[in-house]
Amino acid sequence: MFATIAKLLARRILVSIPILLLVSMLLFMILRVLPVDPAAMSLPPNATIEEIEAKRVEMGLTLPLPQQYAIWLSQVAHGDFGTSIQLRTSVTRLIGQTLPATIELAVLAMAIASALGIAGGLLLFYLRGTRSETVLDVGSIALLSLPEFLWGLFLILLFGVWFEFLPFTGVLSAGYQKPDITGFLLVDSLITGQFATFWNAVQHLILPAFALGVSFSPPIMRVLRSSLLDVYQDDYIHQARLRGLSERRILIGHALKNAILPTLSLMGVQFGFLFGGTLLIEIIYSYPGMGNLMVDAIRNTDLPIIQAVGLTYCVVVLVISILVDSLYLILNPKLRTR
Amino acid sequence: MTLAAMPRWLRSGRVLIGLLILLFVVTCALFAPYLAPNDPNEQNLIATLLPPAWADGGDPAFPLGTDSLGRCVLSQLIYGARLALTVALIASFGAMIIGAVLAHVAGYFGGWVDWLIGRIVDIWLSFPPVILSLILMVGLGTGVQNVILAIVLVDWTRFCRVLRSEVIVVTRRDYVAAARLLGFSHWRTVTREIAPATFPLLITLLSLEMGVAVVVEAILSFVGMSVGADIPAWGQMVADARQNIYQAPWNLICPILAIFITVFGFNVLGDGLRRTLDPRLSQTERG
Repeated sequence: MFATIAKLLARRILVSIPILLLVSMLLFMILRVLPVDPAAMSLPPNATIEEIEAKRVEMGLTLPLPQQYAIWLSQVAHGDFGTSIQLRTSVTRLIGQTLPATIELAVLAMAIASALGIAGGLLLFYLRGTRSETVLDVGSIALLSLPEFLWGLFLILLFGVWFEFLPFTGVLSAGYQKPDITGFLLVDSLITGQFATFWNAVQHLILPAFALGVSFSPPIMRVLRSSLLDVYQDDYIHQARLRGLSERRILIGHALKNAILPTLSLMGVQFGFLFGGTLLIEIIYSYPGMGNLMVDAIRNTDLPIIQAVGLTYCVVVLVISILVDSLYLILNPKLRTR
Repeated sequence: MTLAAMPRWLRSGRVLIGLLILLFVVTCALFAPYLAPNDPNEQNLIATLLPPAWADGGDPAFPLGTDSLGRCVLSQLIYGARLALTVALIASFGAMIIGAVLAHVAGYFGGWVDWLIGRIVDIWLSFPPVILSLILMVGLGTGVQNVILAIVLVDWTRFCRVLRSEVIVVTRRDYVAAARLLGFSHWRTVTREIAPATFPLLITLLSLEMGVAVVVEAILSFVGMSVGADIPAWGQMVADARQNIYQAPWNLICPILAIFITVFGFNVLGDGLRRTLDPRLSQTERG
């Protein structure tokens, strides 16, 4: 069993490499057609034309485009994304500082989306054929119509401004020290035993994670409901009923196990979208992740950061889809015997 | 669309609700100059952050209050519908045309063409849509045409992926083989035999895509990457109101509701069409 999974995994990873190459090429091309001059931007405004020209040569901007791409790519392959034009620090370090925060937010949000999605899907299915189902179903379309950044603002209004219940800026309140071991704040504060810091960080994460999670839960609900409806057509459900099992036992113990598989592959796709959605949530909650790094870089046309962050988002999305595929394979025995 | 099918989809409550909501938004957009009580860009610095007319301190001249520059919120909302709907209509049609053509080519011909188009879609899907549209906006620069272009370039894959599998199913049907045996050209087979069968799915996706386009435009104008400040945009209103969230929460609620209602209209319409026109399509993706 592990051999087949390993083989399929290896194939998925091999397919990802050309995709990443093309993505990086696309990123490089889009950003190189911009009418901005990175050389002039990295020099003080009183630099002479000759100085700018010298800098252009130094930065390799006079080389043909394919050659520039090749140089950039070989540096990226060595983990070097260059130096930020605006912040004058290593882009790799900037990403190292912000990526863990974004991953923490995305994972928590995905957990919330899955919990809400599965609970909602079961409820929708349980109420099938009743009037409340129609109400809930239209309700789930309404949920679907409020994008994550509006949820974020709405929750700030509700819990941050009116009820003054939860904090909504940054990751920690003033006065808390940020432990730095892995970069993952929740993990670090637990390892170092700073439970007050941990609790403060959790409070800061609740609103952004919930805003993101709730906006990605309706598709999960709807797919789970429809795959449960499909599964209930199967003979083994009738057979379970003939054996005298309770409806609850049939639903949770038998039907859900089979219906969860299509839901799982949707959740993989959703996780990818959700990871992109962190960008807006981070801006709204002034959360120090990659999204804020990216938007600041866009405002300052800081090309090395834009390229690096764009590529990092793609790598994470590909990794997520490979992980979900292998999970799918582990859970679904039908796919293994090919 | 045959006449016999008309009453069936018009009978759906969801389709009706969706159409009514959208009719309302379209009316606002079309007749904005007649409906708006004030010029949406006119600043009134002695009347900033006014509450709605019914609240204490409200001014009946500004039914929904004013923003931080003293601009009329209601007028901005009404004019904002113009940008939202322009982008929604043109961008989703553009995305539909590219996506549908590629889907029919890939699904009908199969083989290496299908492989190639499938790989291009894979590359696109490895970008989170928000990130890709932001990067495209950096490359293209701001402006309505570029917002539309960015949405078309990002979202054509939504149509392509879903339609392609439908085209494959339809292509295998006997009547398509019969059409080929009768000597129909590829062009005629696709346009006369296959496209009509995929049309219901196409219309459903189009409606959902319009909702997505409204959201994307709001996102881009929220981060200041959409249109200039002189064109009222809901996303820009949200971004402005965010600065004064304590003093004027209603400023934030109004554009949020406007975006929500419009997108809800498109989504309910799409869902209603999906149920009545194509019972097989499963809701497999967000929006």
